[in-house]
Amino acid sequence: MKRLLLAVALILLLAAPWIVTAPFFVHLMIMVLLWTVLGASWNLLGGFAGQVSFGHATFLGAGAYTMMILYLKLGVAPWYGIILGGVVAALIAMPIGYMCFRLRGPYFALSTLAVAEIIRLIALNWESFTAGPVGLLITTLPKVTFWGKALNWESKTPFFYIAVVIVLSALFATAVIARSRLGAYLLAIREDIDSAEAIGINTVQVRVAALSLSAFFAGMAGGFYAMYLRYIDPDAVFSIALSVEMVFIAVVGGLTTVAGPLIGAVFLVTLGETFREHFLVGHLIFYGFFMMLAIRFMPEGIWGKVRLWTGAAPHRDKS
Amino acid sequence: METLIQSLVSGLLTGSLYAMIGVGLTVIFGVMRIINMAHGDMVMLGMYGAFWAFTLWKVDPFLSIVLWIPAAFLGGVLVYRFLLKKIVPAGELTTLLYTAGLSLFVANLALLVWTGDYRTIKLDYAVMPLRPLGIAVPIPLAIAFGMAILITIALYWFLVKTPTGRAIRATSQEPEAAALMGVDVDRMAVITFGLGTALACGAGVLLAPSLYLYPTVGEILVVKCFVIVVLGGLGSVPGAIAGGVLLGVVESLGAVYVSVPYKDAIGFVIFLLVLLFRPSGLFGVGKS
Repeated sequence: MKRLLLAVALILLLAAPWIVTAPFFVHLMIMVLLWTVLGASWNLLGGFAGQVSFGHATFLGAGAYTMMILYLKLGVAPWYGIILGGVVAALIAMPIGYMCFRLRGPYFALSTLAVAEIIRLIALNWESFTAGPVGLLITTLPKVTFWGKALNWESKTPFFYIAVVIVLSALFATAVIARSRLGAYLLAIREDIDSAEAIGINTVQVRVAALSLSAFFAGMAGGFYAMYLRYIDPDAVFSIALSVEMVFIAVVGGLTTVAGPLIGAVFLVTLGETFREHFLVGHLIFYGFFMMLAIRFMPEGIWGKVRLWTGAAPHRDKS
Repeated sequence: METLIQSLVSGLLTGSLYAMIGVGLTVIFGVMRIINMAHGDMVMLGMYGAFWAFTLWKVDPFLSIVLWIPAAFLGGVLVYRFLLKKIVPAGELTTLLYTAGLSLFVANLALLVWTGDYRTIKLDYAVMPLRPLGIAVPIPLAIAFGMAILITIALYWFLVKTPTGRAIRATSQEPEAAALMGVDVDRMAVITFGLGTALACGAGVLLAPSLYLYPTVGEILVVKCFVIVVLGGLGSVPGAIAGGVLLGVVESLGAVYVSVPYKDAIGFVIFLLVLLFRPSGLFGVGKS
C-alpha cells in the first residue's frame, strides 16, 4: 500500500511539467524542490541530531560559488559543478564542525551564525576570487543533446528534472540514515548528549559527520540554485535570512521525518511565492507566523502530526 | 594621533548605544533564559517610532523617547504574556527558534507596511558636527550618547537599589531560591521582558537620527548584540555595558587600522574566540 502510494507520487512528480505547463507553476515547483533539499539538509543535523544551525547559508553559498567559479574559470560543466559544490561544502563543514561542536545548544547556534557572517564578509571582499558584490553571471549554458534533441535551457523543464534528482537523493539519504547506526547515534545525541557520550559515542565526530552530510546536500542545492538563476552575489547566497528559511521549512514540515521538509517546502514556498507575485516584499511574513504557530501548537510539524493521526508514529511521552 | 583619538571617540559614542541594546538582551537572558532573536527588531521599531513621530507630528526624535519607552515596555509585557510565556518552559533552543520566527514576522510586517526604502531623519540643528579640540562629534550621536548613559545609569540604579530590582537580580541568579524567598518570579519575568524591550526600543529611537532606517536593520543589530552580550558574559549587566563599549571601539579602530570592509568581521572573530575559550565572557562573570 505504502509502496503503491510512493510509486503514484513519483509518477505524478515526473509528469508534473506536462500536466501544468504555465511557467510560473514550473518555477514554483522548482523552488519547492530546491527548498525541500535545503530543508532536508538542515533536518539531518537540526532534526536528527538536534543541533540548531543558523549558518547553513554558508554551505549553500559554498556550493553556488564552487559551481559558478568552476564553470566560468575552468569550463567544468554545471552538473559536475553541482556535485563538486556539494563536496566543497562538505569539506568546509568539517573544520567548522570541529570548532563549533565544542559548544552546545544555543551557543552552537550562535557560533554558526557568527561563522556564516564571517564567510559572507570574506565572499563580499575577496573580489579577485568571487567578484565581490558585483556577483557572478552565466550568460550561456553548455549545449547538451538528450535523445538526439538539444536541451532548451530557456525552458524550465530541464531544471525541474535536475531538481527532482537532487531532491530524491536527499530524501533517500535521509531515509537510509534514519534506519542506520549513524541515525541512532544522532537521535541519542539529540535526546541526551551526556548519556550518548557515556555509552561510548564519539559525539564530536558523529556530529561533524552529520554536519558534513548535511552540508553536502545544501552545497548541491546551492550549485543548482546558481545554475538555475544564472546569477549569484554574496548577499543572495550567504544571507542570514536563507539560513533561517531552511530552519523554518524543516521545523514547520516536521523534524526527524523523511517527508517533513517536502511538506514544509510545499506549504511555505507556495504561500510565499504566490504572495510575492502580488506584493513584491514581505513574503517571509508567513514563515515567521507559521513558525510561531508550529512551535506553540504543533512542535512535531505538519508531517509529524499526520503521522501521529494515522498511527505511523508512536505517541511520545512528554517528559 | 588625532585619528586615534577621533576613532576612539566615535567608537565610544556608538558603543554607548550598543551597550544599551546589549543590556536589554542580557537582562532578558538572565531572568528567563530567553535568547531573544527578535531583540534587533525591537530596535528597528524604535527607529521607525522616532521617524514617524518626527515626520507626522513634527516631534523631535529625542523628545519622542518619552512616549516610546513606556509604549515599548507595555508592548514587551504583552508579547511576553501572550506569545512567549507558554514557550519558555520548553527550553532555550525552542525559544531561540520561536523568537527567530517572531523576528521574521515583525521585520516582514514592517517591510509590507513601510516598504524597504531607506529613510533618514534630517534635523535642522545637526547639519554641522561639533568640533571640540578638533575632533568631529556629530550632534545627534552626542545627544544619543548622553541620553544612553543617563538611561543606563537609571536602569543600573533601579536594579541595585530598588526592591523590584533586587528581586529581578535574585531571580536572575537563582530562580528557585528567589521563589522560596517569596519573590514573584512570574511577575519579575514580565517586568524584565518589558524593561529589555523598552531599552532596545529606546536605543532605536536614539539611533534613528544617526543611521539609515530600513525594516531589516534588526537582522544585523541582533547579531552584533549577541557579540556584545557574549563578550561581557551572558546575563551580566556590567559585562554587557563593557562589551558594548568594547565592540564600538574595536569596530571603529578596526575600520581605521585594519580595513573598512572587514570591520564587522573583527567583532565576529572575537565573538568566536570568546565563545570557544572563555564561554563565561571576557570578565568571567556570565553564566554558561
